[in-house]
Amino acid sequence: MVKKIIFLLGGVIALSTSATAQDTINEPNKIQGRFFGGVESNSQYYVDDPKLGDFLYEDRFRSNNYINVNYNYGRFTAGIQVEAYEKNALLNYNPKFKGTDLATFYLDYKSEKLDITVGHFYEQFGSGLILRTWEDRALGINNALRGGRIEFRPNNNISLKALYGRQRSGFTVSDGHIFGFDSEFYLTDYLNFEKSDLSVGASYVGRYEKTDIVDPQFSELTNAMAFRFNYYKGSFYASGEANYKTEDAVLSAQNDINGDYVKPGSAYLLNFGYTKSGLGVDLTLRRVENMGFYSERIPENLGDNNSSLNYNDRILNYLPGLTKQHHSNLANIYVYQAQASVSYLDVDKMKAGETGGQIDVFYNFKKGTTLGGKYGTKVAANVATWYNLPGEYRFFPQEYDTEFFGVAQKYFSDYNLEVKKKLTENWRSAFYYVHQYYDKSLIEGGDVVKADVLALENTWAFGEKQSVRLELEHLWADTDRKNWAGGTLEYNLNRNLSFYVWDIYNYGTDKEAEKNHYYNVGGAYRFGAWRIAANYGRQRGGLVCVGGVCRFVPENTGFTLNVSTSF
Amino acid sequence: MKNVFFLICCLVATVSQAQSQMPNVQLKNLDNNYQNVYKDYAAKDKVYVFSFWATWCAPCISELEAIKENYAAWQEEVDFEVVAISIDDSRTMRRIKPMINGKGWEYEVLLDTNQELKRALQINNIPHVIVVKNQKVEYVHNGYAEGGEEELFEKIKSL
Repeated sequence: MVKKIIFLLGGVIALSTSATAQDTINEPNKIQGRFFGGVESNSQYYVDDPKLGDFLYEDRFRSNNYINVNYNYGRFTAGIQVEAYEKNALLNYNPKFKGTDLATFYLDYKSEKLDITVGHFYEQFGSGLILRTWEDRALGINNALRGGRIEFRPNNNISLKALYGRQRSGFTVSDGHIFGFDSEFYLTDYLNFEKSDLSVGASYVGRYEKTDIVDPQFSELTNAMAFRFNYYKGSFYASGEANYKTEDAVLSAQNDINGDYVKPGSAYLLNFGYTKSGLGVDLTLRRVENMGFYSERIPENLGDNNSSLNYNDRILNYLPGLTKQHHSNLANIYVYQAQASVSYLDVDKMKAGETGGQIDVFYNFKKGTTLGGKYGTKVAANVATWYNLPGEYRFFPQEYDTEFFGVAQKYFSDYNLEVKKKLTENWRSAFYYVHQYYDKSLIEGGDVVKADVLALENTWAFGEKQSVRLELEHLWADTDRKNWAGGTLEYNLNRNLSFYVWDIYNYGTDKEAEKNHYYNVGGAYRFGAWRIAANYGRQRGGLVCVGGVCRFVPENTGFTLNVSTSF
Repeated sequence: MKNVFFLICCLVATVSQAQSQMPNVQLKNLDNNYQNVYKDYAAKDKVYVFSFWATWCAPCISELEAIKENYAAWQEEVDFEVVAISIDDSRTMRRIKPMINGKGWEYEVLLDTNQELKRALQINNIPHVIVVKNQKVEYVHNGYAEGGEEELFEKIKSL
């Protein structure tokens, strides 16, 4: 069936490109059909490593491929995405991504006021605390809803959306039925505000899933609702969101539910900031309790203690860890994942959610000042700290009663400073310092780690188009795998071609087997929308995180080839 | 199946010249107004540089900083405007406002919070720049290396 679709598509492309070409010549003012889309291919060949060990899984050559083709004609657009995981998906992707198949398809009608989609669609209500469907290929997330959506904007001040769908999981859809409604009102014009701006919104998400449990204390329809506002006046801005999820079964440590242990969930988000030219300050506070929200109550058991939860499969909402995303290799060893769900690990490790916040300060020392020098100096500081919810917890039988304010055990904190400076016409320098506290025992199991990371980055431009970037970094940790040192050297031959080599070395560890270099050498060629990158190296085992959502990868060694383009 | 895939790739390569315009997508700017990336950037003979970036993308920020250094001078030379499209999602989008003010950028910023435009254009990596003139895509480039802004400006001037 897939083959047929693909051939059909190929034929259509071939026919209509010649057709459009003719249209262009004969009737330039007529609506023209237009193809657009993209291709991405990520392949890896895994090898046995004398130090890290042999490759123990099936299929040494694995490849994730995506082809996305759309056709637009006037107000109509239709598209499909075909995905191929041959012979198998890259290591530790959801095992449900296997083989080649049609992944998503849609047909969309869009006018000034109306946007109607049938098929797969992506949506986010507010900041996504009760609903977000998106695609992140690096993480193997594509939780699009398959169904229908209508968006209506009668004027610039009102936006209304209604949707129904079942969520994509692998190449099929999950059992839950998802209903959603979202509204946003831009009130500035109605309130005759002149110098300030206010918008408010309300959303609803319903998940209906049948249960086999007799006489459950929860309803088969779980309701989630959210209210939000967004305000700014001059240099000051504020926004907030309150979310509530009705009583639903809580997942036990064995990934199971019963009919009696039910709890509601909630999430609150507050954000304030002040900015003017050269200065920005931003504060975010968030409290989340029991907000794990999936399109099915019970995760799919994939054998060997593995479940669909490990792949963010069937996730309905977006609860990213609110911390700064560092780009240094070593500052990404201890990363925080939001603790949104109820999770009992041990008698002294009982969690119902998280509470905390972060503050960012950006400052620009202007050119010509003492600290600014000839080119100015840019400083950014960030502090983030996250805790368990305070309250009474009982291990067996499971029960908890949280308090709204206050904090309990600390999960994680990150204090960091970044200074960037252009020193001469051809030399830019940056300095990063990060201090982290990570209670690994509460999150993935392990020690309480205190770590400091120092990184120094320099970029020199020379010749007509060449440049070199050198980054040196060091991590001091008191426990876990202790100290690391690292370096990155990148050489840009011209605007299109670059090569790099980096290495991080866990020289400080107490275990001989962990004393490894994780190196990587490669290059990338970029032209127009094309990017072709190849590298060889070792992957440090652990969490690979994108946008505050993480995927676990085992240690591995191999050759990688990435090719992507869009058209 | 692999052969089929290869065939598609070839087909795609042949039609890849077909890119002609920005998609009909509306995004909010920092003033909470919707902007249509196709219809609202259509001033005659003006060049629009859509630069996809994020607060966590170091090369993107380097590129926008480098353009900023020359922005006023270049704008005197050519009628062009940079539109910085942030693909920050709700994890990092709150950093956009303080960051651009902290850095003193004067670009119009559009928010592609759930990556609707990024997906429509099938952009896989940022930085990614799309240059549009008279509603036609004239030039595309991805990645940034030191001095890349000069080449971009040469391109803008040549249109």
